[in-house]
Amino acid sequence: MANILVVEDDKDLNNAYCIILSNEGHTVSSAFDGQEALEKVKTFEPQLILLDLLMPIMGGLEFLQHFDLKSHKKVKVLIFTNMENSPEVAEAYKLGAHRCIIKSWTAPHNLARVIKEAIENDSAEVTA
Amino acid sequence: MIHRLPEEKIQISAEQAQAQSEALFNSIGDGAITTDEFGKITRINPVGLKILGYAEKDLIGEWFPKKIIALNERDESINLIDRPITRAFLTGQPVSEKMHYRKKNGDILPVSISISPILFGGKPIGAIEVFRDITIEEEIDRMKSEFISLASHQLRTPLSAIKTYSHMLVDGYMGETTTAQKKSLRTIIAATNRMNELISTLLNITRIESGTIAVSPKNIHLYRACDEVIKELNLAANEKSISLTLKKKGAATTTVKTDNLIIKEVITNLVSNAIKYTSEDGHIEVSVQGKTNDVVFSVRDNGWGIPKESHSQVFTKFFRAQNTVKRETTGTGLGLYLVQGLLERLGGKIWFESEEGVGTIFYVSLPRNSPTLRSIK
Repeated sequence: MANILVVEDDKDLNNAYCIILSNEGHTVSSAFDGQEALEKVKTFEPQLILLDLLMPIMGGLEFLQHFDLKSHKKVKVLIFTNMENSPEVAEAYKLGAHRCIIKSWTAPHNLARVIKEAIENDSAEVTA
Repeated sequence: MIHRLPEEKIQISAEQAQAQSEALFNSIGDGAITTDEFGKITRINPVGLKILGYAEKDLIGEWFPKKIIALNERDESINLIDRPITRAFLTGQPVSEKMHYRKKNGDILPVSISISPILFGGKPIGAIEVFRDITIEEEIDRMKSEFISLASHQLRTPLSAIKTYSHMLVDGYMGETTTAQKKSLRTIIAATNRMNELISTLLNITRIESGTIAVSPKNIHLYRACDEVIKELNLAANEKSISLTLKKKGAATTTVKTDNLIIKEVITNLVSNAIKYTSEDGHIEVSVQGKTNDVVFSVRDNGWGIPKESHSQVFTKFFRAQNTVKRETTGTGLGLYLVQGLLERLGGKIWFESEEGVGTIFYVSLPRNSPTLRSIK
């Protein structure tokens, strides 16, 4: 089980992911934009961040630029977006994202499975 | 009795015609260039000079294909044989196209051109090209595409919430639900899936048309990619009792350097189509074969087939064959248009054989190395 930070601006989706992941036994915290997420990581110490890309105030890409995954090697970032096959997703990979998941295609049990795999698999395998 | 015009009058008429032609040519609102039968520039109007940034003396007498540099969407020079002027001379037919021209100062600008051979006695004695700077049109197109892309994304967010919460109810996150409630929830999920498919198609098409789809080639096994797609679509095939099989032909490797997401989109579309247009208890076979310079895969079904009179329209936007429309199968007529557009970006090709009532086989060939294409965005 892991500390997971859910960064998603849509309140309904944010709430849903928190319920799903808590049900799986994870400790979950939520943020609604990149800036809030940067504040949360200072105290919450997540092993995994579920990150939306398009958000107000600070989007996912800007968050990744500030967070700098190279200096947080134990943290994995899963991009959770509806912007499939977009330049933004390619940019997120360049900034160190572990995997990209398309929100509208992913059922809760698949989300739970992907997160379990990401936590268990310490090699930084990158698949879309 | 035939009256001959005096020599002087003929001379005046010819001069008048020449003056009229000159005035007409110079008042064309777009750029206009004429050439002789060898492709040497004979005239260019003031708008043409302004668009290209040349003075008249720079161009008159010069060989058109050498002086007016045409580039494709990757900013590579277009071969002489593929230049519209060559095709117009060879076929004797007008050619219209969009491309890029390099200006005198090196700047590149998008143009829409239309070139017609000037025929005398059935033989080309020259050509006239009318061209227009379409920078503003392209910018508007790009803005429109960005708007659609953003709008599509915004549509998906509430859909994701509907789907996620429906799944959570089915999976018991909110307590037990009855069988009838589960059935209704699954109908909601299926409807959101259909809506998502539509949005995906719309997004991909706008990206292709605006050039904002990026190709990031990586080494992948095409056989494995087909296998993954088939596993995802097996459920849909099972629902119609259709057997869906995968074969590898020959011993050669099926490794290609291509964009994993885009090629999976292509395979998914072709296999989904085969499932959609094949009756219950049908058969679909996907086979993959590595060749020297490319890898070919095919999707064969024993479905309804495409009527012969519709073969030429299969890859056009919104096309749906009459025999499919009559059966009321859901579809937008965008899938194959999208597939062809995606394959063009990967440097691949698609073709098919089909007979109504017998079945269809689509072939796709992919080069071992797809070109890397940056998105314009």
